[in-house]
Amino acid sequence: MKITFKIWRQENSNTSGDFKSYDVDGLTEDMSFLEALDHLNELLVQRDEKVIAYEYDCREGICGQCGVFINGRAHGPHANMTTCQLHMRSFKDGGTIVVEPWRAKSFPIIKDLVVDRSAFDRIIEHGGYISAKTGTAAEANAILVGKEIADKAMDAAACIGCGACVATCKNASAALFTAAKINHLNNLPQGHQEADKRVMEMTWQMEQEGFGSCTFTGACEVECPESISITNIAEMNARLVKAKWLR
Amino acid sequence: MFFRKTIIALTGLFLCIFLIVHLSANCILMLPEETARSLYNSYSTALRESPLIKVIAYVLYLSIVLHIIYALIVTIKNKKAKPQRYLMNHTKENSSWTSQNMGLIGILVLLFLVVHLANFWARIKLGMGDVVALDTNGHVDVYEVTYSLFQNIYFVLFYTLLMIPLGLHLNHGLKSAFKTLGFYHKKGLRVLAKVSLFYAGIMAIGFGIIPFIVFFK
Amino acid sequence: MLNSKIPEGPLENKWRNYQIKSQLINPANKKKLNVIVVGSGLAGAGAAATLAELGYDVQCFCYQDSARRAHSVAAQGGINAAKNYQHDGDSVWRMFYDTLKGGDFRSREANVYRLAELSAPLIDHYVQQGVPFAREYGGVLVNRSFGGVQVQRTFYARGQTGQQLLLAAYSQLYKMKHAKKVTMFPRHEMLDLVVIDGKAKGIIARDLVTGQLKRFSAHAVVLATGGYSRVFRLSTLAIGCNGSAIWKAHKRGAYFAAPSFTQIHPTALPQTSKAQSKLTLMSESLRNDGRIWVPKKKDDDRKANSIPEEERDYYLERRYPSFGNLAPRDIASRAAKERIDAGYGVGRLKNAVYLDFKHAIERFGMGIIKDRYGNLFKMYKKITGVDAYKEPMQISPAAHFSMGGLWVDYELMTTVPGLYAIGECNFSDHGANRLGANSLLQASIDGYFVLPNTINNYLANALKEEPPTVEHPEFEQVENEVQHHIYKLLAIKGRKTVDHFHRELGKIMWQECAMSRNKKGLEKAILQIEKIRSEFWTDVKVTGSDKEMNTELEKALRLADFIELGLLMCTDALQREESCGAHFREEYQTSEGEALRMDNDYSFVSAWSYSKDGFKLHKEVLKYENVEPTVRSYK
Repeated sequence: MKITFKIWRQENSNTSGDFKSYDVDGLTEDMSFLEALDHLNELLVQRDEKVIAYEYDCREGICGQCGVFINGRAHGPHANMTTCQLHMRSFKDGGTIVVEPWRAKSFPIIKDLVVDRSAFDRIIEHGGYISAKTGTAAEANAILVGKEIADKAMDAAACIGCGACVATCKNASAALFTAAKINHLNNLPQGHQEADKRVMEMTWQMEQEGFGSCTFTGACEVECPESISITNIAEMNARLVKAKWLR
Repeated sequence: MFFRKTIIALTGLFLCIFLIVHLSANCILMLPEETARSLYNSYSTALRESPLIKVIAYVLYLSIVLHIIYALIVTIKNKKAKPQRYLMNHTKENSSWTSQNMGLIGILVLLFLVVHLANFWARIKLGMGDVVALDTNGHVDVYEVTYSLFQNIYFVLFYTLLMIPLGLHLNHGLKSAFKTLGFYHKKGLRVLAKVSLFYAGIMAIGFGIIPFIVFFK
Repeated sequence: MLNSKIPEGPLENKWRNYQIKSQLINPANKKKLNVIVVGSGLAGAGAAATLAELGYDVQCFCYQDSARRAHSVAAQGGINAAKNYQHDGDSVWRMFYDTLKGGDFRSREANVYRLAELSAPLIDHYVQQGVPFAREYGGVLVNRSFGGVQVQRTFYARGQTGQQLLLAAYSQLYKMKHAKKVTMFPRHEMLDLVVIDGKAKGIIARDLVTGQLKRFSAHAVVLATGGYSRVFRLSTLAIGCNGSAIWKAHKRGAYFAAPSFTQIHPTALPQTSKAQSKLTLMSESLRNDGRIWVPKKKDDDRKANSIPEEERDYYLERRYPSFGNLAPRDIASRAAKERIDAGYGVGRLKNAVYLDFKHAIERFGMGIIKDRYGNLFKMYKKITGVDAYKEPMQISPAAHFSMGGLWVDYELMTTVPGLYAIGECNFSDHGANRLGANSLLQASIDGYFVLPNTINNYLANALKEEPPTVEHPEFEQVENEVQHHIYKLLAIKGRKTVDHFHRELGKIMWQECAMSRNKKGLEKAILQIEKIRSEFWTDVKVTGSDKEMNTELEKALRLADFIELGLLMCTDALQREESCGAHFREEYQTSEGEALRMDNDYSFVSAWSYSKDGFKLHKEVLKYENVEPTVRSYK
């Protein structure tokens, strides 16, 4: 199949960028979207041009490193999917695909389609863990966790940190990401000791990073590859109310 | 940020309750002319003279002002968080138009509010414009103010059409306010979504048809 | 002479005896000691976090944008531990034996025993760190069984066990970063090792954003860089996974052990096109309830669901009645290859076999199957567009885990003093084949429990030496070599892309050095790879410069090392004239087509040293004092 890619090119974080169009032939429907970009890059090398920088690693939807805005949607036209899971059969032969980097003040562009998501790491740094040292654990079954609670924690813990929630949100809010980690840990008995501190510090850091606030458009839960429910944000708010005012 | 959102949610919820009272009172306008006039005027006089209502009125003004100010601050902050827009963005595929445009809708509601307050509040409370007469019972004839205003088809259309953004604003606002304040019960949220839609529908339709009824009286 | 430093005493006491005798370091002195950890997966992040908790000054590197992306994230199935929660006769001994037997008696008794011994406390650790393992309604942990064993000892967190464990390790690491005990260097790739006076003293890394080469010095260097199966190009590994760090360490003196021991995973999705960049793994846990079959008739073109029961060949159940679909990976992969090669393969390219859940759904009901594998079925649908609840999945073998790696002793130190290798990048516990759900285990144990208790034995003496500095001439020398290497690559300006050469290399490796190997093929492969190497260095084309983010250059640097590694893998496979575990030499098989081990001649670990004139073999003889190596039978 034949596709025209319209791709954001930007030399580095200090320069401004622009869209460039590339006509690519010889694609097949079985190719993944990233394989189509690989193919384009090989063509660019042949033409003595610099390759397009874009991110990926596992290519099976779990590492969270890939992620671009494709034809007006985070991770492409389907709901709850990563960029690497997207295949060319989802596009029309002869069509145009617009590829843009995640756009958010807190995700500065490094090059072309690559953005810096280290703000997420810094949110995790502020309490997205259980402060216990290696070697201090008690017998595993001494902590009982009911199935419903374990499942609920797992639902939230599934976040892969890809940043699609921020990318799709009109406010560039990181509420879904932050809420998922808070609810994962605060729902488990292991996380209770630091529950209030965790919710206060992580949300504080989230604001420091310059993310916007949640206005419940619900776009994030549609684009989230792990289908993390927006209810998590409401739950985080409840925890925040409790930690701030009802202690 | 969370504090600001909480203020918007709390003031919004207060305004939602106010609207219920407001609409109930406006229902009087649908009664036959004579009953409506005396009932409406005595009701509004009672309101104006009650000390409790006076306090609530100030809470109401404050709520409106805070709701607007904080909404503005939050919107500006949110815009700053996303300085560059996408060339192509199909938001319709992942979210409702309303949720994406609460700011715009809010401005329309504000526009309505300014006109509405100028028509009623400024005349009756502040005594601006033409002097309002008294009715046969000696009450300020608020009914006449309403009645005469809605003889003008342009005002009727304005009041009716702008109930559409109000409805949209209420539908998204009511359920979001609850979520902002931390209501996260899964089934409860599904019920809440229906309640919000129902509430917003009643408000929009209720406020929207009254001008017409008055017009055709 | 290779000294594996196995401690004295009976098997059960070795680790305790080691700890009693190893040297300790005063807490006040620990912060003066620098440790570099390269890699941030379960092994790397676990080690970096734990070393920092102990008080060492740690610098941790990863090529990804965050430690959370490391490929440990992709392990789906679970992690083994000898907890015996299911009361089904499990014990440390049985787990030790299963692992040793699974590895076809090509690993060290003492290491494997330690792995089994520390598995139970590891589960305690992860539970404490907030890993949401699957639970019973009563709140206790759930277990399931996994390929190659008959007890239920695998703990899991839905189909995302690796991800959940990695997130625990990653958050613990960033906790220590926040405490300013760890400095993180994401988007940095190690390009060489600096050895001063015979000891590892630092690394040269490239900042992948600016392209700048940077020097980092330390008292010890820990490599935790994962597996190298991307040498096959098509593998279940992440695209960025590479062998460069260990290869550079190898060239600087670290011996490379059993390079050719590569596990081919039986349940990956088949290749569908030439442009394919990766083969997605479907968790092996699917084999618990799924049944593997091919049609009894050759080139059967009917749809799976229209082939009646009596015309299906459940070949694993037929050949291995007692283990059936749960036969170890190497056996399951080879059996699939046998059927596919014989013309019974299914799918468009006839390169797959069926994995069928019909019977499981009938037996347990849709609900339970959805609960167990829901996300895997969803993933399958996303990639293939097929609903596996209604028709069987198509699966096919794919290159997966590298049992081989840098040779390490009981302390996990390589033959270069001060250089450690942990996790998948070393050769220690899995022998010639790794059991399912043992990789997360080994990476974690190496990182959390073993290395932090052995590195002190080396660092205690390092305190007395000169503190390392990047001003040392050796740093300058190595940096210049790296810079020269990069310039040389960029200067070629040939006609072919990096991916072209990688595809060529992959084709040869998959053909000759994967599931089944023979002398003639390997000899041919070595010649072909040498040809690829010389073509690569004369005809490759890399655009862009080295002073910017340049993904093409990164790929080229990694491929240059893969090519050399491929040569060593073939050399190793050629030298080992027996079949054991994943290493199947066609010349050495029983009349039934099973692997034929040659214990008299090959009961040793092949450790290779590097020199410009070729690879040299060193043998670490494996002594079995506690178990009798038996013929591995899963029949």
